[in-house]
Amino acid sequence: MPSFLHFFQILTETKGVFIKAMLLTLELTAVSILIGIAIGLFFALLKISKVKILESISDTYVYLVRGTPLIVQIFILYFGISGIFLLPDFWAASLALALHNGAYIAEIFRGTIKSVDKGQMEAGRSLGMSKALTLRRIILPQAFRRALPPLGNQFIIGLKDSSLAAFISMNELFNVATTLGSNNFDEMTYLLIVAVYYLLLVALLTFVVNRVENNLAVSDR
Amino acid sequence: MWGNKKGMLLFFIMVISLLSACAEKEKQADGSELIHKNQFVFAASGEFKPFSYMKDDLTMSGFDIEVGEAIAKELGLKPVQKRIKFKGIVEGIKTGRADAAVASHTINPQRSKHVSFSSPYYYSGPQIFTRPDSNIKSVKDLTGKEVAVAKGSTYSDTASKYTDKIKTYDSDITALKALSSGRHDAVITDFVTGKSAAKEGFEIKGQQLINRSEQAVVLPQDNPKLLKRINEALEHLHKNGTLSRISIKYFGEDITKKPE
Repeated sequence: MPSFLHFFQILTETKGVFIKAMLLTLELTAVSILIGIAIGLFFALLKISKVKILESISDTYVYLVRGTPLIVQIFILYFGISGIFLLPDFWAASLALALHNGAYIAEIFRGTIKSVDKGQMEAGRSLGMSKALTLRRIILPQAFRRALPPLGNQFIIGLKDSSLAAFISMNELFNVATTLGSNNFDEMTYLLIVAVYYLLLVALLTFVVNRVENNLAVSDR
Repeated sequence: MWGNKKGMLLFFIMVISLLSACAEKEKQADGSELIHKNQFVFAASGEFKPFSYMKDDLTMSGFDIEVGEAIAKELGLKPVQKRIKFKGIVEGIKTGRADAAVASHTINPQRSKHVSFSSPYYYSGPQIFTRPDSNIKSVKDLTGKEVAVAKGSTYSDTASKYTDKIKTYDSDITALKALSSGRHDAVITDFVTGKSAAKEGFEIKGQQLINRSEQAVVLPQDNPKLLKRINEALEHLHKNGTLSRISIKYFGEDITKKPE
């Protein structure tokens, strides 16, 4: 068990390199969450479209992505398709993460869209709004607000999943920690340090999600 | 509230005991210590073909493994393989997860601070590998180039002398695979490893041999008697030609003799 003094000493000494790694982790997470939300919304809409073929496209996507481990998906994008087309490291990692998050986010959106009362759609239609307009103006805003707690949860999972990019040599937090740890024969100290950085990032993410949630709750008052 | 505190305490005790866990070893008649009385538990990564690799039945095979088994036979012990990721092997030896590591560890001063080395059982050296169409021929050309290496290997130190763009993978084979599929500019790894990867169809080419290195068995520092027994076993295996035979089987040449 490393001593606390030693831990804090290494923590301050390695600040520079870990903050750089933290920025990469943040970039990976941010890009994959944003693309993931777009993918998720797209497939959720396919799923509720009531068009058989679109529904089964959405089902297949969710099944394939949820049915395979993320690390397998990362390696497929990194090594698997490199014969056809070489994805840069960053995009191999963030697209794999985005596709992965997208499937879970699609399920979150599908659930929350369905949870909006049927009467809302009927009311919109009876006011002369088209189906698409009702969906956009009335259903989706409510669904999005309900989706926030599970989305926040998914973002945190996505943040920590970005550590798997270490296996394709991205110098994000986890890779830097294990590399430095094995160079200095001091694995445990560096793993504890990296835990601190992840806790910081999760605290930040939780804060942001809570703020958005509170802002959107204005209409409840 | 009380239940909560008790749970926290239990949790901390569990964490601390896990972190400080260090296997108790059995002392032998001659003063050497082993994890199990009749077994020689030796570590390798299984990701360093042809030195150690996984067979279809998920046991390891390769040059290192056969050397480990030959050592066990010399010691009159049952060989037991222990698979540990390469970067974790030194830590594993320190904390008693294996009696020794026969895993192509290069003797170097940083490692010597943490573990003991036996006498060398083979001689090799890091080499620069590139794609066949590369302009990189020697270490001088590496300046500013992106070099990939395996985590915990001595090659990242070697690489850092020439460039600061270093990418790390969990194994040498993954690094070479990435190079072969068009990523990075070069890989530094053992010349035998690179050569056999090229033979397996990787699109890579060996360039300058950077220097010579000696590979040895890794042991914990608090087990000098076992070190002595292993050195005696290695000397015997050198003399009776067992090591040369294993080397020729895997590489077609004898890499266990000290080069001039």
